[in-house]
Amino acid sequence: MLLLNYITCIILIVLGLYTIVTKKNFMKIVIGMGLLDYGINLLLISVGFKAGGTAPIFTINELDRSSFFVDPVPQALTLTSIVIGACVTALALALVIMINKHYGTLDTDKVRRLKG
Amino acid sequence: MTQHLPILSIITLFIGAFIVALIKEKNEMLRNSIVLIVTFLSFIFTLMMYGPIIGKGEIITYWMGNWSPIKDWAIGIGLEVDQLSLFFGLFISLSIVISALYSFRYIEKETGKDKYYVLFLMMSASVMGFIFTGDLFNMYVMIEIMTFASVALTAFRNDRPEAVEAGFKYIAIGSIGSSLILLATVIIYAQFHTLNLAQLAGELYNKYTPITLFALALMIVGYAVKVFAVPTHFVAPDAYMVAPSSISMLFSGIVNKAAVYGILRIIYVVYQSMNLPSMQFLLIFWGTVTMFIGVTMALAQHDFKRLLAFHSISQIGYVITGIGLTTALGITGGLYHALNHTLFKGLLFLCAGAVFYATGTTDLDKLGGLAKRMPQTALIFLIGAFSISGIPPFNGFVSKWIIYQASYEAGYAPVTIIALIVSVMTLASFIKVAQSAFFGQLPKEFKNVEEVPLSMRIPMWIMAVLCIIGGIVPSAVTKYLITPAANAVMNSAKYVEVMMGKDFAAKFYKNIGTAPIIDYKLAGYWQPIAWLILFGILLLAFTMVAVLGGFNPKKFSYADEEDAKYDVFYSGESAEFSHVGGSDLFWGLKYQFRHYFDFMHRIHSGLVNDYALSVVITAAVILLYVFTFVR
Repeated sequence: MLLLNYITCIILIVLGLYTIVTKKNFMKIVIGMGLLDYGINLLLISVGFKAGGTAPIFTINELDRSSFFVDPVPQALTLTSIVIGACVTALALALVIMINKHYGTLDTDKVRRLKG
Repeated sequence: MTQHLPILSIITLFIGAFIVALIKEKNEMLRNSIVLIVTFLSFIFTLMMYGPIIGKGEIITYWMGNWSPIKDWAIGIGLEVDQLSLFFGLFISLSIVISALYSFRYIEKETGKDKYYVLFLMMSASVMGFIFTGDLFNMYVMIEIMTFASVALTAFRNDRPEAVEAGFKYIAIGSIGSSLILLATVIIYAQFHTLNLAQLAGELYNKYTPITLFALALMIVGYAVKVFAVPTHFVAPDAYMVAPSSISMLFSGIVNKAAVYGILRIIYVVYQSMNLPSMQFLLIFWGTVTMFIGVTMALAQHDFKRLLAFHSISQIGYVITGIGLTTALGITGGLYHALNHTLFKGLLFLCAGAVFYATGTTDLDKLGGLAKRMPQTALIFLIGAFSISGIPPFNGFVSKWIIYQASYEAGYAPVTIIALIVSVMTLASFIKVAQSAFFGQLPKEFKNVEEVPLSMRIPMWIMAVLCIIGGIVPSAVTKYLITPAANAVMNSAKYVEVMMGKDFAAKFYKNIGTAPIIDYKLAGYWQPIAWLILFGILLLAFTMVAVLGGFNPKKFSYADEEDAKYDVFYSGESAEFSHVGGSDLFWGLKYQFRHYFDFMHRIHSGLVNDYALSVVITAAVILLYVFTFVR
C-alpha cells in the first residue's frame, strides 16, 4: 500500500521533470512544475504515515504510552509546501499571461530574446 | 536580550514588509522612512550580536515558541547563530541598507513602488532567516520565499518583454532547484526523523549510506542552482540584466551568498564530508570551470549589466574553489572573497544603475565618454573594476592572492594558473567597459547627462571605501571577521554542542585545526613574486588590448563640446568620432577562439527547456559522481 505511494511519487517527479524539459508550451511547463511539486508533497505525506495510526490530535492528558498516531511533523511540512507550491504556480501563470501579452505566443522557441 | 537578537533581526524586516503593503501608494515619505528604519534596525540587531558571538566566542540559540529539545530530540524550530552565520549576516544586512538607500531615488520614476518595497523587504528578510536558522526545512522555506521575491523583482519592469521572459526562466529553473532541496530534506527526515541541523550533524557523522548520499547529491545540485554554478547558470545573466540595479546588487550580494552559505553549512557542518578527497575535487573542479566559463562569456558581452552578471558567476567560482580546498587558508580565502564579491560587485552594479539612471541605456555600444559628465561615478567604477580584477591595494587582490596561494599549497597548481588567467581576462574585460562607457568620446545624445543625485552617490561611496579598507587592512578584517568564521566552519563540534548539549556532541567530534590570521606577508604584499605576477597580469592584459584588439573606428557625428580642450587630438587633422564600441574591442581574440565562442553562444540558447535540461543533466552527473566516488 505504502509502496504504491512511493512508486507514484517517483513517477510524478520524473513526469514533471520530463514535462519541463520537453514541452515547448509555457502552460505545459507550469503544469510540469506543478507535477514535480505534487510528487514531492505525496512523498512527504507518505513518510509520516503509520498503518493504523490515528490523527495526531490530543490534549496533554489524553496522551499516554498506548496512543498510536501518525507523525504530525510531515503533515505540517506538507501544508507549508502546498502553500508555497500554489504561490509559485500563481506567479508563474501571471508571468505566462504577461509573456502572451508581449510576445503574442506561448511557444518557448519564439520567446528567446535574451541569449548569448 | 541577547538570545532574542536573531529573531528580531529577521522579524523587523518581515513586519516592515507588511506595514509597507498596508501603506500602499498613499504616503511616499512615510513608506521610505519605514523601509529605511526597518533595514537599519535589522543591521543594528545583527551588529549587536557581534560582541557576544565573535567577541566572546559564544553561539546564540533561540527556540521558537520555547520548544527546546527533550531527551536529545529536537522537534521545534531553532535559530542558531554561530560565527559563520554572523559573518554572512553582517555584510548581508549592510548591503540591504545600502541597497535601500540607493533605491529611493533610483526607482523614483517607476510605478508600483509599494510592491517593489514589499518584495524587497521580503527578499531581505528571507535571506536573513536563511542565514540564522538552524532547521533544515526552515532553510527550504526561506530559500523558496527568496526565489519567489527575486522572480517577482526580476519581472518588476514588466512593460519590457525581456523582464517577463527572464522572470519566467528564473522561476522555472529556480523551482526545480528548490524542489531538489525539498526532496533531499524529505529523504533526510524519513531517515532520521529530525530536521534540526545540529542533531542531523550528529546523526550523519561518517554515515554514508546510499540514502544519505542521495540526499547529499540532491542538496549540492539544489544549492548549485541557487548559486548559479556553471551548467546551471544560464538564467543568472538574464535575471541580473533586466532587474533594477539595486536588485541586481542584492542578487549577487545576498541571494548568491545565501546559497554559498547553504553549501558551506550542508557539506561542512551537517555532512562533514569535506575530509574526503572526492568531495574536495568535486568542488574545486566545479569552481574552476565556473570561473573560467563565466569570464570568457563576459568577454563576449556588450551589455553593461549582462557583462557584470557573467563576472558575478566567475567570481563565485573563486569562492567555491576556495571553500573546496578545505585547508585553513583556502576557507579563509573563500570567505574573504565572498565578502569582497558582495562589496565590489554591488558597487559595479550600482555604477551600472547610475549609468542607466543618467542615460537610459546600459548598451556599451551606445555609451561613451561619460567620465566627463559623471566624474564621481567613473571614479567609483574604476575602484570597483580594480577591486574585481585583483589590483593592489584593493580588496580583490588580497582574497585572490590567498586563493592562489592556498590552491598552490594544496597541490592544485593547474587551478592556480587558471585562476590567474581568469584574473587577467577580468581585467581585460573591465578595460573594455571603462573604455567604452566612461572614456573615449561622448556621443551627441548624451551631451546633457548629469551626475546622479547625492542620495545615489552616498551608497556607492560607502561601498567604495569599504573596498579600499578591505585591501589596506587585511589583517584587521581577517582577525575580526574572517578567522572566527573560518574556525567555525572547521570546528563544527561547537555548533552541535550548544544546540544539543555537551554529551550529545562528545560522541562524535575532534577538532580539525585553526585558521591563520592573514597579515601583510600572507596577503602577498611583501612578496616580490606577487609583484612580478601582478606585473605579468597587467602586461598580458594590455597586450591583449593592443595586439588582439585592433581598432575599428566608427564614423558618426561627435558631440559638440564647447570647450575644445577636452577633445581627442588627432595630429592636426580635423577630429572625427572614433569611439571604439564595446563589442569591437576584442574582436581579434573573439575571432581566434571563434569555435569556442560559437559553441558557447549556441549553449546559451535562450530556450527555457534547454536550461531545465542542463539542470537535470547536472543532477544526474552529480548523483553518479557521488555514488561512485564518495565513500
